Amino acid sequence: MSHDTHHAPVASKLDLAPERSDLGFIRPDRTTGWLDWLTTVDHKKIGVLYGAFAMLYFLIGGVEALTIRTQLIRPDNDFVTARMYNQLFTMHGTTMIFLGVMPLSAAFFNFLVPLQIGARDVAFPRLNAFSLWTFVFGAFVLNASWLFEFGHLAGWFNSFDWHKALVYTDFAPANGWFSYAPLSGTFGQADAATLQAPRFTGVGTDFWIIGIQVLGIASLAASFNFICTIINMRAKGMTMMRMPVFTWMTLVTSFLIILAFPAITVALIELMFDRQFGANFFNPSAGGQPVLWQHLFWIFGHPEVYILVLPAMGIVSEILPTFSGKALFGYPIVVFSGAVIGFLGFAVWSHHMFTTGLGPVPTAAFALLTMAIAVPTGVKIFNWIGTLWGGRIRFTPPMVLALGFIWMFMCGGFSGVMHSSAPADSQQQDSYFVIAHFHYVLLGGVLLGLMAGLYFWFPKIFGRMPNAPLAYIASGLVILGFNMAFGPMHYLGLAGMPRRTHTYHAGNGWETWNYVATIGAYILGAGVFLAFMNLIWTAFKGKKCASDPWGGRTLEWSLPSPVPEYNFAQSPIIARRDAFFEDKHGGRPIGYENDGGDAGVHMPSQSWMPLLAGAGFLFIGLGMPMMSMRIPHAGWLVITGLAVLFVGIWLWALEGPGGYMLKTPVAPVTSGQPSPVATTSAH
Amino acid sequence: MSQAADAYVAPTSTGIDHKKLIMWLFLASDCMFFGTLISTHLLYRKLYPTGFTDAEGHQHFIQNLFNIELTSFSTFILLMSSFLMALAVSAMHKGEIKSFRRNVLGVIFFGLIFLGCQVFEFTHFYHQGLTIQNSVLGSTFYVLTGTHGTHVAIGVLWLVLLYFYSFSGKLGGHMGALDVEVAGLYWHFVDIVWIIIFTLVYLVEYLGPSGIWGSGLPTLAK
Repeated sequence: MSHDTHHAPVASKLDLAPERSDLGFIRPDRTTGWLDWLTTVDHKKIGVLYGAFAMLYFLIGGVEALTIRTQLIRPDNDFVTARMYNQLFTMHGTTMIFLGVMPLSAAFFNFLVPLQIGARDVAFPRLNAFSLWTFVFGAFVLNASWLFEFGHLAGWFNSFDWHKALVYTDFAPANGWFSYAPLSGTFGQADAATLQAPRFTGVGTDFWIIGIQVLGIASLAASFNFICTIINMRAKGMTMMRMPVFTWMTLVTSFLIILAFPAITVALIELMFDRQFGANFFNPSAGGQPVLWQHLFWIFGHPEVYILVLPAMGIVSEILPTFSGKALFGYPIVVFSGAVIGFLGFAVWSHHMFTTGLGPVPTAAFALLTMAIAVPTGVKIFNWIGTLWGGRIRFTPPMVLALGFIWMFMCGGFSGVMHSSAPADSQQQDSYFVIAHFHYVLLGGVLLGLMAGLYFWFPKIFGRMPNAPLAYIASGLVILGFNMAFGPMHYLGLAGMPRRTHTYHAGNGWETWNYVATIGAYILGAGVFLAFMNLIWTAFKGKKCASDPWGGRTLEWSLPSPVPEYNFAQSPIIARRDAFFEDKHGGRPIGYENDGGDAGVHMPSQSWMPLLAGAGFLFIGLGMPMMSMRIPHAGWLVITGLAVLFVGIWLWALEGPGGYMLKTPVAPVTSGQPSPVATTSAH
Repeated sequence: MSQAADAYVAPTSTGIDHKKLIMWLFLASDCMFFGTLISTHLLYRKLYPTGFTDAEGHQHFIQNLFNIELTSFSTFILLMSSFLMALAVSAMHKGEIKSFRRNVLGVIFFGLIFLGCQVFEFTHFYHQGLTIQNSVLGSTFYVLTGTHGTHVAIGVLWLVLLYFYSFSGKLGGHMGALDVEVAGLYWHFVDIVWIIIFTLVYLVEYLGPSGIWGSGLPTLAK
């Protein structure tokens, strides 16, 4: 039986005898190169793939942003049409949130969480791969709308009859990233034959609906997996209150995702029924209430804000102690504040809707709760300052960005507290002041935090150091350009400039600051581009570094760089918080379990099935908008997609989990020293 | 019991199996999912307490539409299917595969009866004039109960696959019992959701002289 040979420990997966799955297919365990990347279930490789796709979409979203800013550089500009402008700002927001920040956070979750809790993988390695590929296909579907738009602009579709069915020819989404009904929905009566009611917007909205739905499935699957991993796979002695703050924030974020995403899932289903099957959830002509969309969207949308920012807060909470040479000030209160932010995040959604006429009592309640959320956020900031206080601060690229995060995020927080006052907010609503606020939170906060994390953990991921001078220049450009681009928008907003208008007339006093903002945006774009180029260069050509170049505190730094596929040659036994730091500096040493060695550690088998199941969403995602375009037989594409999804999951269940044993280097079990460098991995 | 299935079971920090934990997490998420759908329905019921208007312009009251006896019957059937599911899980824990198969066939059969009732109900309501397109009530009712029906259908499909899988000899031991128990958790949850839907969508319409939403229906007699 091949079974026996497969269960004998091997030094490298390339030594494996071919093994057939329970279905009789040969498992792709011995693959290398791109086959390996397509079938991998290794959380570290999945993390790298998430990061690579996220950086790609950051650049695409950045190009969209710079196009918007170029259009606004002077009054009465006609660089892009109003139609194109709508599509650009919608796709910019959607791309940055769902395809940039969330996957980049997911990249950190994937790479770091198992390492930080002393685990060898996530709880469900194949489900993890499924989340990745579902995200990849969902992201493609969303951006496929651009391909249709460009095809339309080039005139390729003019000869088709169904083109006439598209009354409003927006192929890319054009409703703004929150797709408010009734603009995103329908009006009037449904046609008796097609069951479809007239719509305000083109098929871009259908791309948006199905794209976000698929991305939601990816996020939900990943979050179930991470909660399970964090709760269930901690090393011995790694109690909840000994976990690194980043892992804690991953846990809180994952809970936010699994409890907030169902609201948008239902809202999208309802909107899809309105558009595809003539339902009346948001159709005002039939009694539907468009304001319901706003409620459902923001019940998801406000927790989403914390889904975006909490991982960055977790990253900063790791970087500041490392470069201050001190333990995080008030660890329990930082963790608790993160959890409180998560809870309160569900109770403030209507502050996005102060101008909808909620009535004085709800408005006052939501205003108060919104102000209350500034408390745990402020507590965190004071704890970070407390961490810096009296520390021996070392300036490195991650540290500079983390300090920038505190400053810039605070500025965003200040304007946020201004928004919580309903009378003030009703003046600021839909003005550039709002744009300034959330870009300070999402760029000054989240992007700086994530970039800090990239510089901080790249040496661990690739075993190579980023170029420090280049990193400083890029960080400087980003912080300078960002303030130049979004600082003036506070003024523009208060001076009355409305958001989402494709141009403005001269003479309103907006010319100068729009010009400045656009120049700032170019500088910011150059900074981000430079930073990404530096990181890509680092991944392939950077100077090799030791396993712990920064003097890290958490368990991942106890491992060789790059981390071997089994993570821990022997599982660690944790006696206290910051165990690795204590271990290094003569405190209580980390113990190691007597597992691994020649007996080997269990590795999960690679699989094609997550990719296959995820590919089902490609067909569903392209089929649904095509149904909306009334392309004949497009419904079969959706059915094909559902069948592919079903077959993928079915084969996944039947192939069995498999797995093989991998030998690890033997370290003295009682020693406090980190595991020796592994040489078994072929990578 | 198969060696492949039980070859590697890693200990967990909490002692709860990963599969069971992730199913509980999924169900927590599904609570929010159904909560949103049910809220949508109830909000619109409060806003538009009087049923719907059909294509001929006739006003219909929801109590005249519902066939509460039939729905009570299908609710009872679904409850009993949960009972059989509990027996199937128990049988699996004792390693009594034949008893498991018998009970799971019963669950599948009862689940199909429930789905049959729902198909009948939908057809009946459609012929009474309630469509997804002609009213908000039609939209919320069909999408809410239809989504629940989809959950039941997925559950039936899952159990059918488990039933046939049990003949491969690979469904056994701790992992086999766990697989069945996880399917059972899902099935019980879908059942509980139906109890809530049955109460909030059907039964409350019969509270008080003019229904809980004050629809002003003169008599509730059918």
